Amino acid sequence: MDIEAQKAWSDRGWPDLAVWRARAETPSLAREQPYLDTLPALITGTLLVLAASGLVLAVYYNPWAPYASVQFIKREVNSGWLIQSFHQSGTTMLFGAVYLLLFRGILLRLYKGSGEFVWLGTVALASVLLLTGWLGYMLSGGAVAGASLRQATLSAETWPGLPGLLASWFFGGPHGPGTLARLAVLHAVLGVAVFALVLLLRTARKAMLPAPGAHPVTFHPYYTAQYFVAFTIFALIFALFAFFAPHFGDNPLNAAPANPLIMPINPTPPWFLAPLSAIRVVLPGDAGGVIAVLAMLGLLFALPWLDRSSAPAHRSGFLYRLLVVVLALDVIALGFAAACRPSVTAVILQIVFALWYFFHFLVLTPLVTALEAK
Amino acid sequence: MRRLLLTALLASPLLASFVPAQAETTLSPPHFPSQSLLGGYDLATVQRGFLVYQTVCASCHSLNALHYRDLEAIGFTAEQAGGIAALANEKPTSLEDRFKSPHVTSSAFSGATPPDLSNLAAERPNGPLYIYHLLTGYAATPAGTTLLPGHFYDSGFPGGQIAMPPPLKGHDVAYADGVTTSLPQEAADVSTFLAWAADPNLDARRQVGVRAVLFLIFLCLLALATKRRIWSETV
Repeated sequence: MDIEAQKAWSDRGWPDLAVWRARAETPSLAREQPYLDTLPALITGTLLVLAASGLVLAVYYNPWAPYASVQFIKREVNSGWLIQSFHQSGTTMLFGAVYLLLFRGILLRLYKGSGEFVWLGTVALASVLLLTGWLGYMLSGGAVAGASLRQATLSAETWPGLPGLLASWFFGGPHGPGTLARLAVLHAVLGVAVFALVLLLRTARKAMLPAPGAHPVTFHPYYTAQYFVAFTIFALIFALFAFFAPHFGDNPLNAAPANPLIMPINPTPPWFLAPLSAIRVVLPGDAGGVIAVLAMLGLLFALPWLDRSSAPAHRSGFLYRLLVVVLALDVIALGFAAACRPSVTAVILQIVFALWYFFHFLVLTPLVTALEAK
Repeated sequence: MRRLLLTALLASPLLASFVPAQAETTLSPPHFPSQSLLGGYDLATVQRGFLVYQTVCASCHSLNALHYRDLEAIGFTAEQAGGIAALANEKPTSLEDRFKSPHVTSSAFSGATPPDLSNLAAERPNGPLYIYHLLTGYAATPAGTTLLPGHFYDSGFPGGQIAMPPPLKGHDVAYADGVTTSLPQEAADVSTFLAWAADPNLDARRQVGVRAVLFLIFLCLLALATKRRIWSETV
């Protein structure tokens, strides 16, 4: 069979192939799209690495003896230490990319000009990933994870009404030997379900591609070459974390086994959860903490309507950009304040930084965008 | 470009072989090469540290994560590891058995339980240095400090009061390699051993890592050159 006959044969049996080939060969893409447009593809790649390494971990993981089985994976399983550090560093890369994607979306106002769906999809993806990341951290069976899980399950028991019912269903009651078996399933299911969100986000992004302009180019070889550069840089950073800082941003106290009779002296969460952990202090009580976290994510969902300017995406004033950079520094500072030893100063700083977060979205964003639109 | 790639191929095993070469524990100031970016374990130090653990610490502290066969990774032969296992246990022992777990009565140390040492070095930032300071930090109780009953003053322990009696005297072991025993030497050796026990794959990880990073740097440059060339040919 010559190549043309092969093409006809495969196109008859699998028409999508012809569509994809035609799309890759048609010059339909704008030139000089920025490298950071490759972030969603890199996030998808990281999710695939996490799913593959997670599958290996799940084969050996025993939720009834979580700490011992993680030790078994790291010490006894062939190359288990490598797979485990890929999973942990993959998480770091994933949340790095997700936070960068959110930051860029806010800075360039990518949620404007019918970009709302892409933005809502991105925030939904980030929210589901944060929940999945917290569940995965619980599975480590370490002292910090154990303390966090006890606090979450015990406070969920006290909630009244529907939230209490939902939390009871989620955790299956107060922290006990079976809790992690349940959370392991939820972690895996959410980790796979997140690919559905990735697909949705991809569809929404394709509707938002920039106009091809006067001299459009094909996807291959122009953008495949660009994606390859982005991939190698991403892989290089990933290798630096996986091989030289596999415990980046993790509380060392989590290397000790969970013990219900010992509260870790400083139970700070891993870095990607630190801003959420810090923002809990603005409202009193456990329920207040949950409401504060939901409000933090809810404000991101509401951003397309908090922005009062009707200017299209990629157009924002100097003051607005400055404020978004300050917001990014504020979120980083929130994380650092959460990682401090518990003290009065740390709590005051957390409250100040958290209030600035809400002030930025509820007051500064509508005000500055309305002013700059004039 | 080809010359660059050749240089990289030549340099990667060279660089990787430098990693264990620079590993030497120094005492003043206490410095643990495994805690630096590219350092590794000095196996002679790890073996001396194991001797200190086995002679002094093992009577109260378990090391549950290790099997006797793991000793082959720090340079002992299977026969030597088998001999160590037989000496430590009264009953017949195989290399597949975990390290013997000592029995400590609950009232022994004012109710404090000696912790398992498997991951102790990973539980603090710069764990080996923490262990070193704890072991060398015993001192006379400062004036104005009242200790709890059965406790000892230790400047290296958070809170300053520890239920563990000073474990090292400075002449607890005789090193086969001729290194002079002293309290700081024994403390540094056992800290290095516990660092290895907490992260036995560190050397392998860093050796693979150096190769992977060098490969990816050149792949990166190659990808960038390809991309620029392809885009320069657009009409």
